[in-house]
Amino acid sequence: MKPIAFHAVGKSFGATHALCDFSLEIPGGAFCVLIGPSGCGKSTALRMINAMILPDQGRVTVGGEDVARLDPVEHRRHIGYVIQSVGLFPHWTVAQNIAAVPRLLGWSKPKQADRVEEMAGLLGIEPALLERYPHELSGGQQQRAGVARALAADPEIILMDEPFAALDPTSRATLQAELERIHARSGKTIVFVTHDMDEALRLATQMVVMDRGHLVQSGAPIEILRHPANSLVGAFLGGGSIHMRLLDRLAVRERSTPRRTGATGAIAAGASLRQALDLMLATGSTRLAVVDEDGTWRGEIHIGDIIAGGEAGTSDASA
Amino acid sequence: MTKVHDRVLVLLCCVGLVTTFFAPFLDQAPNRLASSTPLPLLNAPGFEAGAVILGLGLFMPIALLTSDRVRSLATIGASVLLLWACLAAAGHLAALRAPSGTPAMRLSLGPSFWSLAGIAVLALLDAAQRARLGLGARLGLVGLVVAGFILMARAGTFDSLSLTKEFLAHRAEFATELWRHLALVCAALLLAFVVGVPLVLAILRNDALRGVVLASLGIVQTIPSIALFGLLMVPLSSLASAVPVVKAIGVEGVGPAPAIIALALYSLFPLVRGFTVGLAEVPFAVKDAARGLGFDRRRMLLEIELPLALPALLSGLRVVTIQAIGLAAVAALIGAGGLGTFVFQGIGQYALDLVLLGAIPIVLLALAADLAFQLVIGVVRR
Repeated sequence: MKPIAFHAVGKSFGATHALCDFSLEIPGGAFCVLIGPSGCGKSTALRMINAMILPDQGRVTVGGEDVARLDPVEHRRHIGYVIQSVGLFPHWTVAQNIAAVPRLLGWSKPKQADRVEEMAGLLGIEPALLERYPHELSGGQQQRAGVARALAADPEIILMDEPFAALDPTSRATLQAELERIHARSGKTIVFVTHDMDEALRLATQMVVMDRGHLVQSGAPIEILRHPANSLVGAFLGGGSIHMRLLDRLAVRERSTPRRTGATGAIAAGASLRQALDLMLATGSTRLAVVDEDGTWRGEIHIGDIIAGGEAGTSDASA
Repeated sequence: MTKVHDRVLVLLCCVGLVTTFFAPFLDQAPNRLASSTPLPLLNAPGFEAGAVILGLGLFMPIALLTSDRVRSLATIGASVLLLWACLAAAGHLAALRAPSGTPAMRLSLGPSFWSLAGIAVLALLDAAQRARLGLGARLGLVGLVVAGFILMARAGTFDSLSLTKEFLAHRAEFATELWRHLALVCAALLLAFVVGVPLVLAILRNDALRGVVLASLGIVQTIPSIALFGLLMVPLSSLASAVPVVKAIGVEGVGPAPAIIALALYSLFPLVRGFTVGLAEVPFAVKDAARGLGFDRRRMLLEIELPLALPALLSGLRVVTIQAIGLAAVAALIGAGGLGTFVFQGIGQYALDLVLLGAIPIVLLALAADLAFQLVIGVVRR
């Protein structure tokens, strides 16, 4: 897996500094989410990885090679690219769209067809939709096709610029789950730009908070939630609801203890603390039995465990 | 309670009726120079005159029909009847008034004929648009109208009209000039294309060029056509005398060379503007995605931009073609030939029918080109 690195990168568009002295290492196989308010330079950073934008100062390297020295067209063919407005080619069918990069790479027709079928299966695109044109698809289906197109040539790196921002919440959640699954299974490096904090916290293994062209904080989402670098990050993380978001990232099994006091309700060990709290609020009970996936009893969790862990919590989430 | 659903149709009907009764349908003169006497439609044989009035009169009840589609289809029927009846009435009235042995006798189409025929064509085009006829139906309609005209012409219906006499007198020349006209237009479009496409590509690569190129081409557009044809004569004739090779391939100060160059110059502005606008309208997201996936410039242009801009490109070409067909008439002034030859001959000889012999085919050519482009654009859009 090729690591990606930014070495003191600077970029200006006219008088605006899109990136200033920006350094970042993205290890191979990471799910790196760049997040920040609009105009913070996150899209500029993303588009430097596939040489859509070249830096004024510094270097961007992919697998140790300076992107500016690579043939940009050839380089881009080995990097998946998904954008918010999808950008499917309206005069090509979904199948032709998905086969775009394999065709550019000169794959044989049968190999292209096999890959289209495989990608359709991976992203849950019904075979009947493959011969349709993009305008005949719903927004969610279009972005599935967009992601399939980016994955078709099996690139090691996938760049996604707010890919789900224009979707309805249900489609967004489904596609997020599928992307998580694909990442876990393939081990590809994904660099993902968003301004949606919940999306970032859900997907990222590495979260990069940016502001006005600068890197403000980088690390695992849970670390950033626990120790925001400054008030700006704190505010961006959701101000008053940081701790609720933390509960979201922590699993019940981390706070459960093997006591038995006869709790009535039950919750899965893999559920989040937030779900546990929600169930307590719903049932009016202050303790819940904790069970494994297969239903075996594991212990109990009390409301005190949830609250006590909030401030002092040090253990990592494995959710 | 009846309600008028198509006021335009009522207006057309009223205008038609007024011209029918108060303007001459044909003008009769013993020869080209003598003054003419007006012949109203009512002098025509009763059957044809009645058909004209019927076709026109049908517009009134049709205007009251509620359903858009039924009204459009009925209008098409009435318009075709009106057009055919006008043609037949004109031909038969002329035959009645021009007994054989009076070859100098002139029977010209009068204001009433032109208004009625114009009303029929206008109503027909409008109704065909509203009825949302498919491509096949449109072609069929044109074929129907043309077939009626050809059948009447074959039967000798129009033989006594002076326009026909002019045509028969200039028959050989007519074919030559028609082809010449088409050749001028095609050559000019080809030249405009060869010069224009690199300009478009240059503008796409370098946005700063856009203003300069379009402004200079826009200035050319403001030069009156006769002046531009004249302006080109001087440099071309000196070029031809200075460089023998240029003269050897037929370039001279007068003739087709300056005409083709002038027509191409006029075509460049709409061509370049239409093409750059068409290509610029390809959505940014699509181009961004293509670039990001690894399309190089050539494949981006050929596989993404051109196919997506094709309808807009064809629309641009349509405007340019129609404009060139009309402007090519002026080419006759500098000895390039074409249908304009008849127009200027006719003006010189005070022979209105000769002018029409040049002008009518030019209008028909433009309409045919328009229809052809509509068909192609319709096919491409699907």
